[in-house]
Amino acid sequence: MTRAVIEAKHVTKRFGGLMAVDNVDLVVPEHTISSIIGPNGAGKTTLFNCVSGFYVPEEGEILFLGEPINSLPTHKICQRGISRTYQNIRLFGEMTAVENILVGEHTRLKTNWFEAIVHNPRYRTEEQESVERAFELLDYVGLCGLENTPARNLPYGAQRRLEIARALASQPALLLLDEPTAGMNPQETDEMVAFIRDLRDTRKITILLIEHDMRVVMDISDQITVLDYGLKIAEGRPAEIQSNQRVIEAYLGPGAAALSEKFKKKKAHYA
Amino acid sequence: MKTSLKKGLSSGVIFGIVFIFLLLIGFINVGSTMIGDLLGNTASGRLPVNNLLTFLAVLGVLTGITARNGLGESQWWQALLGGLVAGLVSGVLAWLAIWLTGTLSLQGSEIQTYLPNMDPADLNYLRFYSTPLAAANTYLLYFVGFSVAGAALVWLLSIKGWFVKCWQACRNGVSNWKGTKDLSDVFKNRWVMLVIFLAVAVALYFLPLAWGSYWNYIMGTVAIYVILGLGLNIIVGYSGQLVLGFGAFFATGAYTFALLTAPTPHGIGLNLWLAVGGSVLVSTLTGLLLGLPILNLRGDYLAIVTLGFGEIIRILIKSDLLTAVTNGPKGVTNVGQPTWFGETFNDVNYMHLLMLLVLVALFIAKRLKDSRTGRAWVAIREDQTVAQATGINTYRSKILALMLGAAFAGLAGALFASRNQFTGPEDFTLMVSINVLCIVIVGGMGSLPGIVLGAFVLKGLPELLRELEDYRLLVFGALLVVMMIVRPEGLWPAPRVKFDKPAEEPMQDLAPEVKQ
Repeated sequence: MTRAVIEAKHVTKRFGGLMAVDNVDLVVPEHTISSIIGPNGAGKTTLFNCVSGFYVPEEGEILFLGEPINSLPTHKICQRGISRTYQNIRLFGEMTAVENILVGEHTRLKTNWFEAIVHNPRYRTEEQESVERAFELLDYVGLCGLENTPARNLPYGAQRRLEIARALASQPALLLLDEPTAGMNPQETDEMVAFIRDLRDTRKITILLIEHDMRVVMDISDQITVLDYGLKIAEGRPAEIQSNQRVIEAYLGPGAAALSEKFKKKKAHYA
Repeated sequence: MKTSLKKGLSSGVIFGIVFIFLLLIGFINVGSTMIGDLLGNTASGRLPVNNLLTFLAVLGVLTGITARNGLGESQWWQALLGGLVAGLVSGVLAWLAIWLTGTLSLQGSEIQTYLPNMDPADLNYLRFYSTPLAAANTYLLYFVGFSVAGAALVWLLSIKGWFVKCWQACRNGVSNWKGTKDLSDVFKNRWVMLVIFLAVAVALYFLPLAWGSYWNYIMGTVAIYVILGLGLNIIVGYSGQLVLGFGAFFATGAYTFALLTAPTPHGIGLNLWLAVGGSVLVSTLTGLLLGLPILNLRGDYLAIVTLGFGEIIRILIKSDLLTAVTNGPKGVTNVGQPTWFGETFNDVNYMHLLMLLVLVALFIAKRLKDSRTGRAWVAIREDQTVAQATGINTYRSKILALMLGAAFAGLAGALFASRNQFTGPEDFTLMVSINVLCIVIVGGMGSLPGIVLGAFVLKGLPELLRELEDYRLLVFGALLVVMMIVRPEGLWPAPRVKFDKPAEEPMQDLAPEVKQ
């Protein structure tokens, strides 16, 4: 049994009377791709925000590599090794691609403002290495040649990849991807799927993602968690989720599961 | 045909109205006198008519140029027609204005009661000392003639393109020399840069000797505002916090220096250079103290709170409560002055010191900007939430920006108090904070050359325009409005830092190069 990167116990987050996340348990094993799915408003992004430190859950505990993180400020959580991307891309628009990556490397750099003024040897080597790493990373995500373009002028697909590269720059153990294939055509989606797999296999990064595209989710995930109205209604491998009645009902409405059974029988009958 | 008429009409109306406006505020006389000064055509007693005619010619040519430029790509007859129409329209408006004011003043109406600038003597000059009708006809003639000439001039320039060709030839000439690809490559040459650097250094050394104490005073003020602008630029331009009470840090710097060195009220008489250090330190601490409670505020709220802070500091300095400490509204006199081999600083020495410190401040600001710290600030400006999730301690970063910005202001304050030998609470009104903010915005947010240029434009230009006396602020305001329309990003927007791709072998120099 591999160890758990994230272990969330009884996490609850309320907004006024609304239970956005209601008593959810979640375990993300190391070196896997886990997905969170669910209809709109199910609490997926809220759960993400709890893990990445934007929200502090009212109840429950979130452990990262065995240590509690739910009371830490956001930047400390990033330092520990969790980084994320956003549903609607949020890059530093006025900064170039390289600068975005360099900001991403922030937690891995040590020099302070005084060293920057005097340019001591430590500062110079660190700066040089960080720029080298930034170019490597941009090359890795396929942004070669666009290094000095301001982020806001990049095409959509490139912005998505730059956002992932910025998240990777902090050398995370866990990467949270919020709808990484949103707005992409089938070919771009396939490339993204291959890219995410590569992150797990060659970079040994654990990935937790939110995704609406079922083809992607079923293809890529080692484990799927389904949320509905803040509650966890199912968890398991893709095949298990596909045939889970509660999941089908959450997506298609009550009674849909029975209809689906009927449809399958009919299909078997005609075959 | 139709567009020519339309464009001619619109630019004619604009310049006609401009003419009438200038006439009513009495600017035409002032403008003509200025032209006379420029051309060396001054006379006592009766003002020479030539100056007025030249002024009209300039206005007419501008009318024509505007009419032609509105047309874009056009035939010669279209351009001339546009110029003619524009000249006719503006000329007729001028004709009406001159004829009306001339006739009224000849009939003895008291126009001046309602329009204080309509002095009968001035009006006589505007009529060329002749009858209203003849004068009005001359105005019409001038407007038509010079408007057509202006339109023709622009048309010639655009069609022949000789100006463009000359420029290209120049570029090619430079490019062929030493086999450089582009004009900008010349500036990458180390020797060229060294020569430029030396030339600038020599110029900076000799200029204060040459231009006299009045200009040393003006340029000294500009230099102090450059330092202030660089400080506020760290806070507003980089880390994106709209702080309106920047004058407070300036005031603490100036007062710390003054109280540490002046004989009254405390008579501490500290060493000058230590006192400068003390000013910087106290301002920095003020930045910290201000920063701690307010840093969770953003945008408008931050602006209002810091605005209040600036006023609180000024009022505290003035208050009865602290009179024993700060000398109250009287201010502190006989502030210490630096000495150089036993002699107190004169204006030239001050200017040299200020220029040196401006260079140091520029150097520090540039290095901060290109560092990890500077990138963190810009990231916070762009998106604070994401910056935090990227691992930046936004709280600490923003306080650091406030403290460093305040340190710059403390230095500027010490210099200000020492140079004036006096500091009082009224030196630090809200206008100081607003002026510095204007420098940052007009110059270009986050742009170092922009700050320098902005300080020259906002603190130097009003002095250059002193010639215009009453119209100084009017012209200045108009310039600002035009600038914000033409260049909304500032006079000199921040250049983008360009990183070169690292080579396979280890590189010696990886300092980011600034490219336009």
